[in-house]
Amino acid sequence: MNGDNSNAYGAKAAAAEPTNDVRLRTAHNRLLESSGQEDAIEAVREIVANFLGSEEMGLFRVDRRTKTFEAFWSFGIDLEEYDLLRTLGDVGLQRIMRGECHIEFGVRDQAGAMAKAQAFIPIRVGDQTIAVLAILRLLPQKAGFERSDMEIFKLLSQEAAKPLFGPTSHETTGREGSGIRV
Amino acid sequence: MAKKILVVDDSKTALMMEREILERRTTYQCVTASDGQEAVEKAQQEHPDLILMDVVMPRMNGFEACKMMRQQPGTREIPIVLVTTRGEESYMEAGFQSGCNDYITKPVNGTELIALLESYLGKA
Repeated sequence: MNGDNSNAYGAKAAAAEPTNDVRLRTAHNRLLESSGQEDAIEAVREIVANFLGSEEMGLFRVDRRTKTFEAFWSFGIDLEEYDLLRTLGDVGLQRIMRGECHIEFGVRDQAGAMAKAQAFIPIRVGDQTIAVLAILRLLPQKAGFERSDMEIFKLLSQEAAKPLFGPTSHETTGREGSGIRV
Repeated sequence: MAKKILVVDDSKTALMMEREILERRTTYQCVTASDGQEAVEKAQQEHPDLILMDVVMPRMNGFEACKMMRQQPGTREIPIVLVTTRGEESYMEAGFQSGCNDYITKPVNGTELIALLESYLGKA
């Protein structure tokens, strides 16, 4: 996937491969089988919590008319107090609008836990980014993002839009390009 | 005769994944429940060989369900493995006090999960 800003994948990647097929299939089926927006949001929360190991996340939607990101939903954090632009910067946001994931693999703190690991996943319809899923902190036992996580990011990026926002989501959201304000 | 596992989680995603891991990679038979209260009832009806149970659930959480099952003759001896997002020592101490035998932290790795289950049930 484009936009991975590190090659420091977790050491457990190989051992996780058989599990990864199951995770991908489960995530795909869970999204497809979700019944309505509320259940689709729950599906995304469950996929992030159970497969990626985070219980702090938020979803921002691109407003077509104003070309801004709007806080849409969050779990474990208050999006009203969260500044997406300051976190990502203009360049980071432009990359996301082009469809690239922005992944920060984090640093180990003194206790050995992975701190400041976070990921920003563009939710795409065709060649448009219509929303951004922010995954903001990993559980202490999760030793950073792994190679297999990239496939979950890709799946969410490509398949979450329709369950989350409906089949006509591209008609009500913004076109990508310059002038994105937050 | 296939060993039977009762898988308990309020998350449809976690249930789907754990069930798929067990059904595709083991010979264990799988039954499910979506909260602690249903787990207590299903454990009485199904007499599973092991219970794999989430902690944070509506109606009755995993610790409470574990405690209740330990008080009932039909479920007292069934091994219970808790699945938790929190693996801190102090938190899991409460799990062991409720009567669980073991725990595994999320995100669950299928290979590790099967190895843990096999340690209680024998080769899958």
